[in-house]
Amino acid sequence: MILLQSPCRYLLQVLSTRVQNLDKGVELDCQCVEFDDVRYHIQGTVKNPNILLLSVSLPTPPPETVFLGGLPPGAIDAIKAAYGAVLQILDPPRDGFNLTVKLNLSKLPPDEEHKQALLIKIASIREVVQGAPLRAVLKQLISRGPKSDLNKLVSLAHRPNESFFVVPQAEKVTLIFPMQFKDSIDTVLATSFLQEFVEARRTAGLSSAPPCLWSPSPPQELIGASDEALSANAGFVSFVIFPRHVDGRKLDRTVWSLSTFHAYVSYHVKCSEGFMHTRMRRRVESLIEALDRAKPESEKAKKTAQSRSFKRLSIKDGRGSSMNSR
Amino acid sequence: MDPSTSRPAIVIDNGTGYTKMGFAGNVEPCFILPTVVAVNESFVNQPRASSTKGSNWLAQHSAGVMADLDFCIGEEALARSKSNSTFNLSYPINHGQVDNWDAMERYWQQCIFNYLRCDPEDHYFLLTESPLTTPESREYTGEIMFETFNVPGLYIAVQPVLALAAGYTTSKCEMTGVVVDVGDGATHVVPVADGYVIGSSIKSIPIAGKDVTHFVQQLMRERAEHVPPEDSFEVARKVKEMYCYTCSDIVKEFNKHDKEPAKYIKQWRGTKPKTGAPYSCDIGYERFLGPEIFFSPEIYSNDFTTPLPEVIDKCIQSAPIDTRRALYKNIVLSGGSTMFKDFSRRLQRDLKKIVDARVQASDVRLGGELKAQPVEVNVVSHPIQRYAVWFGGSVLASTPEFFPACHTKAEYEEYGASICRTNPVFKGMY
Ligand SMILES: Nc1ncnc2c1ncn2[C@@H]1O[C@H](COP(=O)(O)OP(=O)(O)O)[C@@H](O)[C@H]1O
Ligand SMILES: [Mg+2]
Repeated sequence: MILLQSPCRYLLQVLSTRVQNLDKGVELDCQCVEFDDVRYHIQGTVKNPNILLLSVSLPTPPPETVFLGGLPPGAIDAIKAAYGAVLQILDPPRDGFNLTVKLNLSKLPPDEEHKQALLIKIASIREVVQGAPLRAVLKQLISRGPKSDLNKLVSLAHRPNESFFVVPQAEKVTLIFPMQFKDSIDTVLATSFLQEFVEARRTAGLSSAPPCLWSPSPPQELIGASDEALSANAGFVSFVIFPRHVDGRKLDRTVWSLSTFHAYVSYHVKCSEGFMHTRMRRRVESLIEALDRAKPESEKAKKTAQSRSFKRLSIKDGRGSSMNSR
Repeated sequence: MDPSTSRPAIVIDNGTGYTKMGFAGNVEPCFILPTVVAVNESFVNQPRASSTKGSNWLAQHSAGVMADLDFCIGEEALARSKSNSTFNLSYPINHGQVDNWDAMERYWQQCIFNYLRCDPEDHYFLLTESPLTTPESREYTGEIMFETFNVPGLYIAVQPVLALAAGYTTSKCEMTGVVVDVGDGATHVVPVADGYVIGSSIKSIPIAGKDVTHFVQQLMRERAEHVPPEDSFEVARKVKEMYCYTCSDIVKEFNKHDKEPAKYIKQWRGTKPKTGAPYSCDIGYERFLGPEIFFSPEIYSNDFTTPLPEVIDKCIQSAPIDTRRALYKNIVLSGGSTMFKDFSRRLQRDLKKIVDARVQASDVRLGGELKAQPVEVNVVSHPIQRYAVWFGGSVLASTPEFFPACHTKAEYEEYGASICRTNPVFKGMY
């Protein structure tokens, strides 16, 4: 089992390979799509191996979510603060993308450790861009200055046409995730997974983790949200974040975990399904073995020659023949 | 319209040795990983829980569940199994066929979520299979893809057909040819006519990349080079990939090495895994003897002694007569073990010799009255040979004809896994 990491593995590999082979720069033009419909496109030329163009497209926000110039509010400032001189934002972005940046690899720090850290940061660009508004809200918790938007319901996009909701308060921030799944089996599994998840929060070891709740119906805070958001088929999860969850270096982790919460649940649902199938296959195999043992000797001899190919049908076969023989 | 058709399809070529995966439309796979899973087997062989008491049972059960969920793949798996003895390696594919479906499912799960990091519900999938795969195995694949991963659409392509399609953009499109796929665990010679595999003429050879590695390892061991035994297979593989080449004549090559050892003998340097002490050893004759096992198999094996060029010739001779000339004209190499320097030249020369001898013999038989037209023999080699199958998949899956040719989730739910038994040849393939 894994937690989703923030850097895009492929992007990081492309960047590292490029940096290591600057002298034999090759033509580069590749794309990749990550969970929640975040797409990347990287281009580079032979002529100018230090320059890479990176375009990012974000999931289409639902109508109630604010986007400024195609990006979540605060994203531009967040990018500038995170990357400094290695990266320059191009306006307008490439067709079909929300953001295009020009990377200048010659401006990477010379020492290996800092260089690697910055490359990882570049590969985590979705965290910086998508997480910008949430980070701003959470930062207010620990800042002393005046706070804006108190008790107002803010919607932030995290999946195509889906958003989660944030209610900033004086001493805490409440987040509400409407959980929507396409497949009916996924919905059932997710529902019980979330109930377990909330239950697990109550165990002693996790008493300082953010309190969380699951409910099948929309919580009060969501009054006024769109009908789509209110009709989530796997219920609603809410977290309460206190200043202790966002101080210092914890802020980045918290922002990432919260903005990919849906992906996290959906990944675990898939793993559980895989796990159940594994167990089911083992069970079927042991049943087939039991049936095979129950067969009269004469049939066994006949069977072995052909049973290799039609393995899957052998339950029915077995059942049919054992009934006939009775 | 289904939004997943607007995203690039995912192309995964699961080979015996290495899995190539990435997004359709790219020229290179995103990742090439060894096809291996490290699983925590500390609980598999525990006695059934019924004999133990309540709370203990629960604890044991959940520990078993956690162990089942604890696994990793690829290089990570190799490293983990070295450092931790509770992890066992499981190779889900053997000689091109999946033989451990649990491991295979786990492997796919990691590929999708941890490497490509995509949501399988968002993409159509193109998977590959060996030409000898059974329809039952295709059903299993479909079941896992549709049930566990909820993919919206799936196409299972035959590896050699994709390798032919890879030539598609490099030269003009030609869907008739013989694919010589030399991978890690299996070598297949597969004739294809107009995109259809001529099943009855497929020839398989029990010699492939792994055997070259074994042979190199054996040669180095016999010369008593100081390679630590636990590392010797890995070292042999690296030596093979970096230094081996195909020679035109073994005897001459031996002479060359003996005359100018400084020019031909290479050095391998490594560190011992246990003590960290550095060591070095010489790489000599194995540089050309390794790949030679394809051309003179008797130096490696007593059971199989037909050289590769002869197998290819037999394969084409057994194909329908009207396709033979076209087949000789387009012999396409695919797979990592065709990457040896000058492999295609040697193959072309040896095959041409066999064909010319036959033409001459028939001329003699006919007494010079009728002259047979010379047969054109052409072994095609291209730079993306290493992952030609994947590349062909990437090209095909980015054509508009790909999506309608896929089996969809809706069809799966309507008709069941049996729809995966056949996969139509579609336009764009030829
Ligand atoms: N440059 C190279 N030269 C020689 N052999 C190579 C090279 N690169 C990879 N190989 C070998 O090719 C084999 C893998 O080929 P591949 O086509 O990926 O196999 P498969 O599809 O059966 O997994 C391995 O045995 C590997 O050692
Ligand atoms: Mg292969």
